[in-house]
Amino acid sequence: MTVDQIPVTGSTGPAARADRTTPAQRPRLSMTERRHRAFYLFTSPWIIGFLLLTVVPMAYALWLSFTTYDGISPHWRYVGFGNYTELFSDPQTWNSLGRTGLFALTSVPLSIIAGLALAVLVNRPVKARGLFRTLLYLPAVVPPVGVGLTFKALFDQNSGAANGVITLFGFDALGWLADPYARYVLLMSVLWAAGNVMIISLAGLQDVPRELHEAARIDGASAWRTFRSITVPLLSPVLLFQTVTGVIASVQTIMPLLLSPDGTTAGVTALPQSNYLYMMHVFSQYFALGRYGYASALLWVLFVLILIVTGLIFRFTSGVVFYNVDPEAKK
Amino acid sequence: MTATSLPPNSAPRVRVRAGRLVLYTVLVALTGLFIGPFGWLILSGLKTPAELAASPVHWLPTRVQWHNFADAFNLIDFLGYARNSLIIALIYATLVTLSSAWVGFGFARLEAPGKKTLFGVLIGSMMLPQMITLLPTYLIFAKLGMVDTYWPWVFWGLAAAPYLVFLFRQFFAGLPRELEEAAIVDGCGYGTIFWRIFLPQSWPVLSASFVIAFTWSWGDYIAPQLLLSTDKSTLAVAVMTTYVTSAGTPVANLQAAASVMYVVPILLIFLIAQRGFVAGMSTTGLK
Repeated sequence: MTVDQIPVTGSTGPAARADRTTPAQRPRLSMTERRHRAFYLFTSPWIIGFLLLTVVPMAYALWLSFTTYDGISPHWRYVGFGNYTELFSDPQTWNSLGRTGLFALTSVPLSIIAGLALAVLVNRPVKARGLFRTLLYLPAVVPPVGVGLTFKALFDQNSGAANGVITLFGFDALGWLADPYARYVLLMSVLWAAGNVMIISLAGLQDVPRELHEAARIDGASAWRTFRSITVPLLSPVLLFQTVTGVIASVQTIMPLLLSPDGTTAGVTALPQSNYLYMMHVFSQYFALGRYGYASALLWVLFVLILIVTGLIFRFTSGVVFYNVDPEAKK
Repeated sequence: MTATSLPPNSAPRVRVRAGRLVLYTVLVALTGLFIGPFGWLILSGLKTPAELAASPVHWLPTRVQWHNFADAFNLIDFLGYARNSLIIALIYATLVTLSSAWVGFGFARLEAPGKKTLFGVLIGSMMLPQMITLLPTYLIFAKLGMVDTYWPWVFWGLAAAPYLVFLFRQFFAGLPRELEEAAIVDGCGYGTIFWRIFLPQSWPVLSASFVIAFTWSWGDYIAPQLLLSTDKSTLAVAVMTTYVTSAGTPVANLQAAASVMYVVPILLIFLIAQRGFVAGMSTTGLK
């Protein structure tokens, strides 16, 4: 793919030609106008795409959430807030929401702590540092299907290494992929990708000015104190970003499905209870039962909840997070 | 260093050496813990079904079943699915890289009223839960008769990805102003400036963006599972769902072998591209 072969589609018409004839006394206004028009021309793919592939589908889902639409029956009708009252009175909603909350509250902090610890570890001057970094990061590159199948192999009741190890120590083999242990397998499958946080924190760690560490050492600060008072505050924007994206990722994870015996969307009904997260509840309403209207109401409730939670995270950290460099100020 | 200063130093030196030992032990153990699961997948792919069914666990295969990899290749149309994955990933990664570069240029080098708001929306949309928007999008694609075609990936590609737009925007914003000023004086349009001047400068970001988008697409599971019928589907879907006997019981050893073959290309792409990233970073650091 060479750039020169791609036809030039965006050359600005008459204004450009006018400029070519009189380059010296180019009027300031037309120049500005040209930039405005060019800006919208350049950003239009994203604007149109965002409208058609995000805003319209979400509006469509909002409309569906007030109906009994199921994709098959022609007799679907408008039911107002019927779906919403139903979902709020369904214990399944609350149970799956509770599990999702617990999953986010455990997986996100644990990933961040693990990733940060790894970053500090591989930031020390050790031999083959690059190799350690690469190997620790590699699992984060494995696609979800690979992660699911890897953990299914690792925690299989008969052939899994996990049961092999615990029986060596004289314990009974466990049904890891069933209740109540499936949640721990899910958690571990997320922690396997802690290299993500590691790599991003590592970039942040290398930005921490050396003088700060030296000053701290001269002042006699302990390693832990330096970490807490210098490293963490300087990394706080990175950690905040990781928290927000981590929460959003854990809310919509499909990993429970990939860890289940039948990984298709129809297989959600066979999930162990402890991994029946909110998104899986949506899937089961959407695909197993085809209740598009009701499931859309579930989706919108989740969407609003995510917006609220994200807003709250930003709000509560606004005084704590320390922005060292303003990216806008950098030329 | 004089002899008198040695004694007070030697005790810490022993401590430092012990500390190093602990550090290396921890590092090696952790690395083993992170690489171990994938090693186990490879091992599982080299065993017989009887060994996988046996309890307690057979740690190592009695005889290494290399032919499992060939069998996994032949039990399903592995190459066909791999080709589907490749086509979709190439379509998506090429389009989304070009569209994101295009949009990123707009946000980096051009001004217009409403730019700040739009940029805010762009950043905010990075945080939108994609699984939530995917489900109604799927219904719309189904209504438009685009199920079982690759059109959805064309549209997703053309629509640019906020994360990649941001990547390009950061890169383009860092290039010197003089780059386009001369071209403007010469009467070039912004389209020409983008294609002729900015894009050729941005090979590191272009390749990074392409690799990122390629791995997204290769790893995507739900969208192809929803939008494509079995024979048009991707390797991700095939590896997850088609390794079953006619009776419906999973063929665990072949599935493990297949998932290794599914994952390894992505790991290789990462390892190759990683070197490029490091080189790119060090060159920009030298400037």
